[in-house]
Amino acid sequence: MAASAVVPRRRPWALWLVVLGGLGLITWRMLYLHGVNEAFNAAFFAGAVVRSLQLGSLYALIALGYTMVYGIIRLINFAHGEVFMVGAFAAYFLFSRTPFSWPVALLVAAAIAFGVLQFLNFWRGRARDPIVLAGALVVFAVVAFALASTQLGWFWAMVASMFVTGVLGMTIDRVAYRPLRGAPRNSMLITAIAVSFFLQNFGILAFSNRQTPFRPASFFTGPLQFQVFGEPLFTSWMIVLVPSVTAVLVVALTLFVTRTRLGKAMRATAQDAETARMMGVNVDRVIATTFLLGSMLAAAAGVLWGMTFGSINQPAIFGILPGIKAFAAAVIGGIGSLPGAVVGGVLLGFLENFLTALFPRTEYFSGITEYKDTFAFLAMIVILLVRPSGIVGEDLSEKV
Amino acid sequence: MLRLAGVNKSFGGLQAITDLSFELAEGEIVSVIGPNGAGKTTVFNLITGVYTPDSGDILFEGGSLKGLRPNAIVDRGVARTFQNLRLFTNLTVLENVLIPQHHKLRSTWVSSVFRTSGYLAQERRMHEVALEKLSFFGPRLMGFRLHQSVEVLSYANRRRTEMARAMATGAKLLLLDEPSAGMNPKETREITEIIRRMRDEGGYTILLVEHKMNLVKDISDRVIVLDYGRKLAEGAYADVVNDPAVIEAYLGKRSDKTSAVARARAADGLVAGSSVDVPGSAAGGEERS
Amino acid sequence: MSARPGDAGGNGAGARGYRPHYLAHRVRNSLLTLGGLAVLLVVLLLVDGGASVKLKQVFALFAIWGIATVSLNLVNGVTGILSLGHHGFMLIGGYVTGLLVLPTATRDNLARSARSELSDFAMGLSVENWFRALGLDSLTTPETLWARFLVAVLIGGLMAALFGVVVGFPSLRLRGDYLAIVTFAFGEAIRLLASTPLMSSFTNGALGFAGVPSDIGKSVWWTFGFLAVTVFVMARLKYSSYGRALQGIREDEIASEAMGVNTAYHKVLAFAISAFFAGVAGGLWVSWVGTARLDLFLFFLTFYFLVAISVGGTGSITGVLLGTALVVWVRQYGDPLEQTYALSTWAVAAGLVLLAVAALAFFLRRVRRIKPDLGPVVYVPGALGLVAALVGLLGQGMPALQATWQGFGMRAITLALLLITIMILRPVGIMGRREFTWAWLFRERLDEPTEEERAQDAWLSNPALSGRAGAEREDDEVDA
Repeated sequence: MAASAVVPRRRPWALWLVVLGGLGLITWRMLYLHGVNEAFNAAFFAGAVVRSLQLGSLYALIALGYTMVYGIIRLINFAHGEVFMVGAFAAYFLFSRTPFSWPVALLVAAAIAFGVLQFLNFWRGRARDPIVLAGALVVFAVVAFALASTQLGWFWAMVASMFVTGVLGMTIDRVAYRPLRGAPRNSMLITAIAVSFFLQNFGILAFSNRQTPFRPASFFTGPLQFQVFGEPLFTSWMIVLVPSVTAVLVVALTLFVTRTRLGKAMRATAQDAETARMMGVNVDRVIATTFLLGSMLAAAAGVLWGMTFGSINQPAIFGILPGIKAFAAAVIGGIGSLPGAVVGGVLLGFLENFLTALFPRTEYFSGITEYKDTFAFLAMIVILLVRPSGIVGEDLSEKV
Repeated sequence: MLRLAGVNKSFGGLQAITDLSFELAEGEIVSVIGPNGAGKTTVFNLITGVYTPDSGDILFEGGSLKGLRPNAIVDRGVARTFQNLRLFTNLTVLENVLIPQHHKLRSTWVSSVFRTSGYLAQERRMHEVALEKLSFFGPRLMGFRLHQSVEVLSYANRRRTEMARAMATGAKLLLLDEPSAGMNPKETREITEIIRRMRDEGGYTILLVEHKMNLVKDISDRVIVLDYGRKLAEGAYADVVNDPAVIEAYLGKRSDKTSAVARARAADGLVAGSSVDVPGSAAGGEERS
Repeated sequence: MSARPGDAGGNGAGARGYRPHYLAHRVRNSLLTLGGLAVLLVVLLLVDGGASVKLKQVFALFAIWGIATVSLNLVNGVTGILSLGHHGFMLIGGYVTGLLVLPTATRDNLARSARSELSDFAMGLSVENWFRALGLDSLTTPETLWARFLVAVLIGGLMAALFGVVVGFPSLRLRGDYLAIVTFAFGEAIRLLASTPLMSSFTNGALGFAGVPSDIGKSVWWTFGFLAVTVFVMARLKYSSYGRALQGIREDEIASEAMGVNTAYHKVLAFAISAFFAGVAGGLWVSWVGTARLDLFLFFLTFYFLVAISVGGTGSITGVLLGTALVVWVRQYGDPLEQTYALSTWAVAAGLVLLAVAALAFFLRRVRRIKPDLGPVVYVPGALGLVAALVGLLGQGMPALQATWQGFGMRAITLALLLITIMILRPVGIMGRREFTWAWLFRERLDEPTEEERAQDAWLSNPALSGRAGAEREDDEVDA
């Protein structure tokens, strides 16, 4: 007796009540704080809002990788936070150590060109297609020459890092996850944890073992000042850059998933990998694509993260917190759903950043900044327990 | 013994079970039959607590089973087998038949760690019961098979293990979901005999879902026919299969010649060897829709 | 075909079958077990008496982590719930034990220190004070530390078990990977919470507190004593009705529930017992280090245990101990991996590892008859390894390869790669679910039929022999 897939009716008015009530409470709290202390003025809260949006965009970019991979192979890619870390470090080396010596330039260019080759593959469908090959070769030559002769700016460093990190993601899938297709899900999760530890310690071995400054010469890291209701707000151009880059990447990803053949194959695989395989979809290729795209987005997030905060932590711990929080964001939004990841990311950004603005350190109260991370973990536990399907997603947790 | 009173169950917009009522007396063997999707397994899931009925009540020996967890229902004395086997695959046959007796254990985990005499006596008793239940199936699951993991058993042996496992819970009412699925005719006959012995020697009351009409005919005291979640007919096998409504549910209303042939063949199966005349099957291409 | 009455050990003794109730086998097994214990005892005596301080510490660490892995195995291996929050339970046990056994002199120092965040109330929590209040002055001397430690570790374990119950509750609603993530989040939340102002009056924030006596944690006898108790409880539990019920939950939770097992109670029970022993291990671990510090309880710890369990054998206590020995060995004797070497040496080493991977892949493809022998799994690492080794060997004179590089994190990398390899090649681990038993060692199997049983089995499964064969045709078509 198969249970039919009729979705129980929602009650949208209840949701609106909660949202409006929450907004009302927040406004009341803001007015109260303003009354207590003049420092909590409109500019203070405006600053909190833009910072929340900025952080939320970063979470959204990372969360997209989690959600895509979970949607397709039902794996919590524990190593995604470390992929994000590698993305940041790759860009760091690209803009701070260039020009490279010729052997290093050739090696890095080869990795980038391989990523570009896979990327071009999306449209041509075959790696041996002359156009794809020629494109990759041209990229190889140009990039090798560029790496060996000039200093890279942050933008090209980010683009190159995206391709290198994308190749890393594909390699992880090929080496560690693909041999385990069809294995128990716990085995896959354990492998993902092992990959995560491998990358953390490989980062210590290869990159650095201490906090690293991350300050590429850029207009966007410069200061930005404007007036909010007559009060000055000091911030940087990053508040413009981060959401814009995120928006561009999300739109590009959406177009890819909805408009291209491979994107359709991806959605089909997410629905039912076995049937998709029987319908002629090359499932392994779709999964590799998923890892490529997810890792590229994570790399972009890594670069933007570094520029936002001016430094990146040592590799063994840099990826963990952003990674797990982005996973929480993916769960909040509804894992497996792309819009869900964006919504969840932005929401988590607000929860984390705006809440500390709503409950700041005053003379009577020590603030909640120290509890931020604990709070993120507890929020994830609560979400998983109360509504594992998230805001817009369907329930993908293991069924019996 | 078991009484369903006006049970309803729907999944979203789909009404799976509608106003279902029937009774089971102690020592009866009752079969639930019906076309695929008629709600037979849903009935089992409702009785064993996998689902909770939307309305109506399920009474077992006077007490309501409604809203109880599946394990609490086993405590009351109702156990089941599954349509697509759910054995503990990596455990041995013996362990599979010991686990269902765990709920009767009256020792804490501490005394089981220290192997108190009380615990050991119960453990010995569990082994005796396990062997007793397994010996229902002859020597097939005895001897070296006891210590084989279920993984290596044949399909028929797995079915037998599952029945032994349900018996070992100490339940009085057994719900068997297609006990002969995947068995060859000889094994089916054997299982028929065993189900009868389970009632006669073991004293179990048995409710079963089955597709093989031979088996149903041979052992059922009564048959309940379900279609689209409603009870279509109830009574002795011979009466039920001659009920026009039942035949229509199984074979559909006739529309053309090809289906008439299929119908005739299926009807042969339904009455299997008996010379009962199925209405309509003899009369060629007559339209009745 | 009449049923034969049987007994627990099986019957129908034949020439080949192993039957454990045979007196000869039982005597032999008991003698072997006694012999094994005697050997272990001698080894421990030698280690305690004559060996270097380092070896003593390694043995103690093996025992402590063994307690942790064997207890984690109850949840991960026996009950089949992937729990990633073991470090959180250990943290609770560790801090509670550390605080309760802190010597009075250290307490006074801490109380005077300006940087200490510990509250007076926390400083008053001392088993020594309690013993004094109870008039048990003889148990407050340095020689009787063990008594205070036992009480402290018991309280630590119980506190951890309490949290185990809390963490166990999500297992009633969630399954599989979501549950694993929740346990991970709990473990991390416990650690993060311990560093917040809320808890720092007990934990002293990021600083922690030094001066926890190491006498117990570094004593081979005490740690192996605790390990023996743990293994005893876990093994008895696994081979009791409760253990069978837990394994039933691992195999099929729905079926367990349908067979009367109260899955909710048993899952929470498994978490609680596991957390109790994790708390004990945490207390010993803090004592081994001599300091209660937050960075002793990173997720790294659970990862080590996960490696031990997965490599040794998921669910097998002996396998898990084997895995623990491996992990402890790599951690304590892996320092050569983390030294500074020339880049050319690293290149050669990496090349050799890659060549070994290629050789292993080639060998496995041969054995498993996968065609072609030389797939990408073989030639990609093979070629890369060859290039790396050649560059390392031939380029020794090159200035670029003269630079030196320190192998930070190589031990963790080794363990991670080991875990990935095991997961791909043998997901159940070296021992699988089997335990090391004498019968297993001598390949005596209960599930092997005797000649008589074999004959009977052939007769049962062959319709031509058991008669009544030809008459079944018509029935075949009835199968709907």
